[in-house]
Amino acid sequence: MENSPSSSKLIRWFDPRFRQIGTWAFILNRVTAIGLTVYLVLHLFMLGKLAQGPEAYDSFIALAKTPLIKFGELLVVAAGILHGTNGIRITLNSFGIAVRYQVQIFIIMLVLSLAGIAYFAYFMFFLA
Amino acid sequence: MDGMISKPKVQEGAWLWLLKVLFGLVIAVLIAVHFIVNHLVASGGLLTYQDVINYYKNPGVTTMEIAFLIFVVSHALMGTRSIILDLNPSEKILKFINWGMLILGSVAIIYGIWLVQVIAASR
Repeated sequence: MENSPSSSKLIRWFDPRFRQIGTWAFILNRVTAIGLTVYLVLHLFMLGKLAQGPEAYDSFIALAKTPLIKFGELLVVAAGILHGTNGIRITLNSFGIAVRYQVQIFIIMLVLSLAGIAYFAYFMFFLA
Repeated sequence: MDGMISKPKVQEGAWLWLLKVLFGLVIAVLIAVHFIVNHLVASGGLLTYQDVINYYKNPGVTTMEIAFLIFVVSHALMGTRSIILDLNPSEKILKFINWGMLILGSVAIIYGIWLVQVIAASR
């Protein structure tokens, strides 16, 4: 049972050796999933400031406009795009669609995602 | 090849897996709506308290945001559960996690609906 799951093997998640592209796709999906879940919790807490009135919310927005927080938000957008495009591929494959081309689709999705992330970075830091 | 495809885990159940996948697709659509409406339709974005209050006067907005919240919270919890299943929890621990997640999800959704009502009632 060398490959059976066990909590004592948690550390293996972080071992980058001998990984195939599919495993990288899996890691990307899992890391973005955890990041987005953490963001969801923060997002719900911070929007609670709306119930505390204008001062509380507007001072939070002032904080959100600082470069560090904006960079964090860009990471959230990047995670969302990567998780979404990868998720569409996984869904198609799971229902037996285009399973033979999963590597190619992953790479195409990755390129599209990077283009989308670059657009968001430009929008957030130069236009908005 | 078969090992590469996403499928229900031993303790996950096919229906929960299917729900997770379908909610993921719904979120892919709703997140686009959430972004376009919040950042492009609401002119200049929602960067002040008053902007948000005015924006939430629209019942379509409150409905969309509550639906989005329910799908996202459910998908996040189902996903977290399937991550936890990779750690092979015992039946006892899994039962505890199931209840914990049901309660956590309900609290998050009720809190979100409450918050939307508070915002919509503000002026």
